[in-house]
Amino acid sequence: MMRITINGKKCTARYGETVLQVAQRSGIRIPTLCHHKDLSPYGGCRLCIVDMKGKQTPLTACTLTAEDGMVIKTDTPRLRKLRRSTLQLILSEHPSACLICEREKDCDNFQECIKKSAVTFGCKSCPQNNKCELQDLVRDMDIKDLHFEFRYRNLETQRDDPFFDRDYNLCVLCGRCIRACHEIRHAHTLEFHHRGPKTLVGTAFDLPHLESGCQFCGACVDICPTGALRDRFSRYDGPPERTVKTTCMLCSIGCAVDLNVSNGKITCSTPHKDQICARGRFAIAPIVNHPRRITKPLMKKRDGVIEVEWDEALECVSQKLREHRNRTGFLFSPQLTVEAAENIYALGGSLSAKLAMPFLSNVPPRPLALSEIKGKAAMIIVNTDMVGDYSVLLLTLRRKMKDRATFIVIDAFARPSDRFADTVLKPNPGTEQKIVDVLCGPGRFPKESGISAAEIELAQRLVKGKKVYVLYDPSNSVIEKSSKSCKTFPLFSQPNALRISRMGFHCTHEEMLTSKNIDCLYLVGVAPKLERKYGTVIVQDCFLPDFDFDVFLPAATFAETDGQMVDIEDRTKRVRRAIEPIGRAMPDDMIVEAIARAMDLRLTKKSGKRKIVTKRATLRKTNRAYPLRLIVRENAYTYRGKTLSAILRGFDRLRHDRSAWINENTAKKFGLRDGARATIIGRRTSFIMPVKISSYLPQSTVLVFDHPSARRLKNEPVRLECTKS
Amino acid sequence: MKRRRKTEEFRLHLLVCAGTGCVANHAFDIKEELQKEIARKKLSDEIGVVTTGCQGFCERGPIVIVQPDGIFYQRMKKKDIPHLVEEHLLKGRPVKELMYIPSPREAPVPKMMDIEFFKHQRLIILRNRGRLDPENIDEYIGFNGYQALEIALTRMTPERIIKEVKASGLRGRGGAGFPTGMKWDLCRREPGRIKYIICNGDEGDPGAFMDRSVLEADPHSVIEGMTIGARAISVHKGFVYVRSEYPLAVKRLKIALSQAEEYGLLGKDILGTNFDFDIEVVQGAGAFVCGEETALIASIEGKVGRPRQRPPYPSEKGLWGKPTNINNVETWANVPMIISRGAKWFSSIGTKTSKGTKIFSLVGKINNTGLVEVPMGITMREIIYDIGGGIPQGKEFKAVQTGGPSGGCIPKNMLDLPIDYESLTQAGSMMGSGGMIVMDEDTCMVDVARYFLNFTQEESCGKCPPCRMGTKHMVYTLDRKTKGKGREGDIQFLESIAENVKLSSLCGLGQTAPHPVLTTLRYFRDEYEAHIKEKRCPALVCKDLISYVIDDKLCGGCTVCAKNCPSDAISGEPKKIHTIDQQKCTKCGICITVCPPKFNAVKKVSPAVK
Repeated sequence: MMRITINGKKCTARYGETVLQVAQRSGIRIPTLCHHKDLSPYGGCRLCIVDMKGKQTPLTACTLTAEDGMVIKTDTPRLRKLRRSTLQLILSEHPSACLICEREKDCDNFQECIKKSAVTFGCKSCPQNNKCELQDLVRDMDIKDLHFEFRYRNLETQRDDPFFDRDYNLCVLCGRCIRACHEIRHAHTLEFHHRGPKTLVGTAFDLPHLESGCQFCGACVDICPTGALRDRFSRYDGPPERTVKTTCMLCSIGCAVDLNVSNGKITCSTPHKDQICARGRFAIAPIVNHPRRITKPLMKKRDGVIEVEWDEALECVSQKLREHRNRTGFLFSPQLTVEAAENIYALGGSLSAKLAMPFLSNVPPRPLALSEIKGKAAMIIVNTDMVGDYSVLLLTLRRKMKDRATFIVIDAFARPSDRFADTVLKPNPGTEQKIVDVLCGPGRFPKESGISAAEIELAQRLVKGKKVYVLYDPSNSVIEKSSKSCKTFPLFSQPNALRISRMGFHCTHEEMLTSKNIDCLYLVGVAPKLERKYGTVIVQDCFLPDFDFDVFLPAATFAETDGQMVDIEDRTKRVRRAIEPIGRAMPDDMIVEAIARAMDLRLTKKSGKRKIVTKRATLRKTNRAYPLRLIVRENAYTYRGKTLSAILRGFDRLRHDRSAWINENTAKKFGLRDGARATIIGRRTSFIMPVKISSYLPQSTVLVFDHPSARRLKNEPVRLECTKS
Repeated sequence: MKRRRKTEEFRLHLLVCAGTGCVANHAFDIKEELQKEIARKKLSDEIGVVTTGCQGFCERGPIVIVQPDGIFYQRMKKKDIPHLVEEHLLKGRPVKELMYIPSPREAPVPKMMDIEFFKHQRLIILRNRGRLDPENIDEYIGFNGYQALEIALTRMTPERIIKEVKASGLRGRGGAGFPTGMKWDLCRREPGRIKYIICNGDEGDPGAFMDRSVLEADPHSVIEGMTIGARAISVHKGFVYVRSEYPLAVKRLKIALSQAEEYGLLGKDILGTNFDFDIEVVQGAGAFVCGEETALIASIEGKVGRPRQRPPYPSEKGLWGKPTNINNVETWANVPMIISRGAKWFSSIGTKTSKGTKIFSLVGKINNTGLVEVPMGITMREIIYDIGGGIPQGKEFKAVQTGGPSGGCIPKNMLDLPIDYESLTQAGSMMGSGGMIVMDEDTCMVDVARYFLNFTQEESCGKCPPCRMGTKHMVYTLDRKTKGKGREGDIQFLESIAENVKLSSLCGLGQTAPHPVLTTLRYFRDEYEAHIKEKRCPALVCKDLISYVIDDKLCGGCTVCAKNCPSDAISGEPKKIHTIDQQKCTKCGICITVCPPKFNAVKKVSPAVK
């Protein structure tokens, strides 16, 4: 403990603390702009300057480490004058018409200013109005006039990227976004350009964010003190009335998010203390407020699909279920709350109906025990898009391991974003296990993998003397433990996978859809491809399916639901209702309860009999008729069976996950251009998809993200045909 | 190893200066031609031709010196060579026409050390300039090179070395003048096994070329100094950061490094003392701010060259977070002499607070442009008038800018100011790295301040608002003044903003950027007032404030001006008085240069004629 004096007040400082931290802890206010508690000290904005006894020039409190006996003054007339002058210099470049307007007080929501400058670049038109740190500083320091000529930089607003706009006329060059991108996210997308008065924030070579390796995590947007970076969806919503902490259910990591609520509407979702990814940041509010969301019960009648009251819909459903009883099949999404899943099990159990396993993989889920990962470690990541699908998990791992871990990516489809890894191996699909074997223990050099001995040797050197942890997505490939020193962790992108797998099931997805004993399908948050006609199809969802149904029950999203979710580490997390369900939608668990009430059934805990047994996929050999191999990858960018890119703007440009990916040579061979529609023909079925040509794909493979028709052709040989439209 | 030519085999040596200035004036062609001519006269066995580092007298390049006589030939041309070889080398009659002539009325000065430019200098850092081949380590060793290293490594403890450097009173030559011994001691006391030393050769001041010259003329002295420093601080890795605009310096440094390594004076187990030290050359990408130590460190780390707030100082957290000692090229070059001749000798040179010598690059409106090394405490007058030979064309001296864009202007009435760190700071300027830009009566001080400020605002890294925006607003204001749009209150505005920039900027660049404005305001306030109130430029420089007029009484009506005017602004018939149409005049000044001296009728006037 050290003692320092700030403004005559005796304060205690811990080792390594900065003067700013001590002052903030002791309730002494020092104005800051570039400082952020999660970022390294920067000392750029020069607003936190303080005087230290024995030093003539002022020092920045954010970079000054406290030492015993320091005497600090934070509020002398000289400092005040310097701060005011510095802030005015910042304002001489930042639009400030409203900040220093003498009529600011008269200008309220109902009586807006019509001065041109205020309309063009005043605070009223800024998305960050009333949330802006610069605004706060100007009010705190009571700046009423500007000594300097206003020099508008007149830069063009960058609107080319999904999710957020960048208006660098509002940028104060505090460097927070850059530090967040480097220090917190390790994405290294942003950096300063040019120098002197021409300094700008941007990506390498000024490429669009989409091409520069940006993960669109939104960390830069949330850390920006001004309106320079703004979420496009919520830019006109103003500061939130309240925030509700809940758990994001878009993947299995279950990040804590704050749902911002204004006027009974969810405006956006921001990370709660820690980090989130593009889904948590930019998908939740658009899903909840989606214009195509169905919030009223629908029924198919003689004159088509019409809106009905809940009672009528429930009556119809209970009648149909009573009719079909054990010839009913329940298919449901793991993206439901635990309560909803339990209720479905109970309802299905009391009807003796069949329940299908809700996920693709055939490996029993195991909790990801992060506590087991420690010491000097080599993390081998197999066939998993760590940056795209598990970016927050990757951050957690990196934070936990600091620089003791080396990362090796084994993936035939390794993306540019896998550059975080120390080395990337791109073996032929199906030989991943052999590579892991040769890296972890005594294994034969896998010649058939197509990887050179030098590359294997380099990876072996990275692994040597370290504990090996293999992380893999089991829906893509199954990796088994190859030696004692190695541990494997299957990663499940679906939330609640652990909990639901423990409850068991009766059959797999495919088995249910091909079974002849099912007359009635009850689909909760899933959109499979129906191969035949059913007696009754009941859909409980947020969006309309693309097949015929008899009854549609509008479900609430997780943002409108109370409940629990179980994350990848088997921790139970609270899901909180931020707003009342929109329209007449109801949470899933309550819909099922209402059905049971209508049927006079008591819901008791039930579970299925079968458990998941590990099954290794076999890759069928290609032949002359079917020269390509179809690889189906899990798509972690879905909500209730809908691909995010299909329903949300921006995700289509970020993901391209509704296209079949091929490389240039394959495209040339089959005469396909980028974006052309192609029929993918397998032995059992065929489907049509646009193609996306990508240079990083291996030869003779077609990559498709989880797609109902593609599932049946997984790992099968296929051929492509150009579809004339 | 290739056998190097023995220097003592020859009767005569021709030392051809191969500093950048002379090389630009074809020094290498001269050398080749000399060798050819000597071979033609069959003198190759008797006379050796050697390229040396910069002699300093760049105004008179290319320079050839004949040793051992010390005859100084200047402004050599290819066509002079046969004559020179015939007369001097064969017949022993020095060629008077090629010697230095101080002024048309004076006799030529044959010997180098009799020339005023060299006479007053005191060479410590540049002790080997012009006398050895910088690409040959043997010559450096021949002039007692690496003797100090031997003393430091075999006979002195690290503490003793630091004590010696402290006692010498050597202060950092990069600008701020921090005592070098103390800096080393601070770094030595820091805990940690891995430390670094850096040689700062990122010389970015306009008109300064001291570091370049040292690296080009005597790279081994820097290497030796660094190795001694490394021993004192117990460091095993050093970096030399050189601008990439100095290709010759980089080339010679690299040659010197490989030769030193070959001789066991660098690398593993130096001189058998079990001490390892290695130097790496890093080239900067040409940012002025990278001369600032924290920005330089960031640049070596491969990051954008932007400074960070000190403390922590590099001696605590420097390169890759390790304790780092960073000194200027000139500072390092001083070290071997301090060790070999002792602190007492070194501290006998200079003033009470500033010891030793300092190199200045003398440029601008001065007769003898070049590089001079003088003892601390010498007056400005001695440098400018005795060494520099005064102002060309008999014009009046006005001011001298010391310390580059970070320094200030020192006016005429302070010419007798003894030069040391404190007196310059007191005068509002600074020692800086040693640039000296001399200005004559034809220089507008507002324009000078604008020029330097424009340089700093463009070179500002853009990190902190006082420097990024403050300098920009100052340039706007000054620019306005030179365009005749100055306003009442501009001077007070400049003073207040300069104060803010000086006090609240992050690094040295911003903290010193207002110096040119503050000093010119202090010493030439009347010029600012003339610009603002009368819209008049007293020095007749600011284009918008002057007009060209033809004096009725003097014009002879020769029509030369009218013929040469590019914008047809001059009207008049032969033998009649000509007039300039101010609306059409673009103020290019051609008329003033073409007007025959017998008339001398075109004049500049300020304020501008409407």
